Amino acid sequence: MTLIQALESGRPVAVFADGENVRYFLDTPAGVIHLSTPVSQWQSLAGRFPSLDWFERAISEETGLIPAGRDNLKPLRRHDLPYAFYRHPDLEVHQVPVGPVHAGIIEPGHFRFSVLGERVQNLEIRLGYQHRGMEKLFTGKALDQAILLAERVGSEPVAHALAFCRALEAATGTQPPRRAQVLRLVLLEMERIFQHLGHLAGLFTDIGYSFAAVQIGKVRALAQGQLEKFCGHRYGRNALRVGGLWIEPDLITLRSVQDDLEALGQEAAEVLGYALENPMVLDRMRYLGEVPLEAALELGMVGPAARASGVAQDLRQDEPLCQPFNPVVRPGGDVLARTQVYTEETRVSFELIDHWLSDLPDGPVHSDITLSDGEGWACLEAARGEVFWFVRLDDGKVETARVVDPSFKNWPGLEVAMGGEGLPDFPLCNKSFDLSYAGSDL
Amino acid sequence: MIPFLKTLTTGNLTKKLPELMKLPPWAPGWPVLKPKALNPRLRRDLQNLCPSSAFKETTDEFQLDLANCVLCGRCFKAFPDAVRELRTQEVAVTRRQDLVQRVILETQMFAELEPPTTTRKQLHLPTLAFRQVSAGNTGLDDSEISLAGNPFNDMSRFGFSLVASPRHADALLVTGPVSLNMKAALERTYQAMPEPKGVIAVGNEAISGEMFAESEQVVGGVDKVLPVDVYVPGSPAKPGSILHGLLLLTGRSKQVLSAGRVTNTTSR
Repeated sequence: MTLIQALESGRPVAVFADGENVRYFLDTPAGVIHLSTPVSQWQSLAGRFPSLDWFERAISEETGLIPAGRDNLKPLRRHDLPYAFYRHPDLEVHQVPVGPVHAGIIEPGHFRFSVLGERVQNLEIRLGYQHRGMEKLFTGKALDQAILLAERVGSEPVAHALAFCRALEAATGTQPPRRAQVLRLVLLEMERIFQHLGHLAGLFTDIGYSFAAVQIGKVRALAQGQLEKFCGHRYGRNALRVGGLWIEPDLITLRSVQDDLEALGQEAAEVLGYALENPMVLDRMRYLGEVPLEAALELGMVGPAARASGVAQDLRQDEPLCQPFNPVVRPGGDVLARTQVYTEETRVSFELIDHWLSDLPDGPVHSDITLSDGEGWACLEAARGEVFWFVRLDDGKVETARVVDPSFKNWPGLEVAMGGEGLPDFPLCNKSFDLSYAGSDL
Repeated sequence: MIPFLKTLTTGNLTKKLPELMKLPPWAPGWPVLKPKALNPRLRRDLQNLCPSSAFKETTDEFQLDLANCVLCGRCFKAFPDAVRELRTQEVAVTRRQDLVQRVILETQMFAELEPPTTTRKQLHLPTLAFRQVSAGNTGLDDSEISLAGNPFNDMSRFGFSLVASPRHADALLVTGPVSLNMKAALERTYQAMPEPKGVIAVGNEAISGEMFAESEQVVGGVDKVLPVDVYVPGSPAKPGSILHGLLLLTGRSKQVLSAGRVTNTTSR
């Protein structure tokens, strides 16, 4: 399959420059395929496939190369290069700059609105404020240190650590024991519950519905307590290692976590049930911040944001331990659809955890790995969508690590969602995506 | 009607301060060196074991920097003879050196430090409005600061509140190792604040850069850019520790950790 054919039938998972080649990992109906092009023949395809836009900008600012046929390359993470914001041709339209320091407790990013009155004609997002040179730090690190870095990529430490471990396990041909595989997924689903309840509590805060905000915030804090009980860390760091797990929860802990989560799941369902029947909530969220299905496909969006626009894609469909699995899909692509997807996925996560913990296989939680030179990649479904990791080992140390956070693919979706909306609706739209700044800035 | 009943039956969730400062039994505490037990073999083992290089040996000292500790708890589980566990969330300090435990190898004793002092008198305010800036943080320290305001921790009962503008703020909470791209924005936010103003570095990344210390894209610590009054260690800093940091800044808490020992601040 040629590059063009693959892009026509699917979307990019990851694109990065690796030595003399530009490598494409593409999701197609036949699964994820891998293609590469020599740097000298690198062609810009972003005009035809907008989903490649951010990838081309990232590669270009990193390597200094310019793909043939591209002239408007703006930097993405580097702030030492000149950057020209979009100017609307109509002089009546004025610009509203917002950020990088915002009014709440939130990561930094700059939003440039072109507004006519209160209507947003165009939103341009400029990120890079959180850029810490993440990928370069991996070079030469031993695995124990590298996984600490992987846990610090974005606000989903379990998902990143797990994808990193899986990439390395693919590279070294290691199979973690079955008990470890299940417990890892339990951690991942607990992280999803924590993140989704956070998005929901934030949404209810932003529309001023304090009953649901407080109650969901309470369930979220208690769910975080369960994660801490399960692995000793409030966000699930220091739990995973290549080949298995560091933690070994005993039977009493497992039972107690299972029982407490069951009660919390019921409480969350009860409160969310009230909230999503409330006419004021529905009125505020419906038809706001719409991302049509075509736009979601064209931009290659992932995760709950894509599923709320009708894209039936969730990587847990390919996860053997999750079978049978049906992705939660809603039509519409508005704030309400995203809220419904979060709500329903939270319920599914509670169910999955209960199912796994009821029938947990016995055995060890770690298998030794044989370090060998080689490369591997993995992607999995984190709370915000698809996390991709590519790792190459050299002499028992990490030589190259490449990561694509789901937020990286979804930020352009927020630009689409804001088109034609009122400026004061931005916080609510932004919260309904709730993307990670650090994850896309690396 | 049913939400109203639910609200009535929820009750008071707020925890009392002493309860809030306790670590839950399943969370690992902070490592503290046992100076007498540190023989060369144990020192080497500790350095090899620690994934985040918190232990360091110089020619005449062995050091443990809590601002580099990721709280995995492996050291005191593997070597209980050499390292003990300190179980508290009250770990905020007023000086950077209080977070470093230095053992003089010759005498096998902790290096003596001057007693820690309180923060500036002007900052001992009855209420404190603060602004938060994330400068290259992974997002977790930010999340913990907002959780410090939830009904369980309820920082507003101590008079602490988040304000939208630096013009209204008495203190600045900074998270993250200060990415180069955020440095100017951080400095301008600080300049926009009226005097007297305090700065709290929240989380290990903000104190030492932690895992990002060697990156060229970060400054590697807030105190390289701004004068810092209180340091709150943690990876990420726990809500209890953040509250302790705020109480320390406003002079309402005297207890600090100084090189592995729990002591009280003296007024300056």
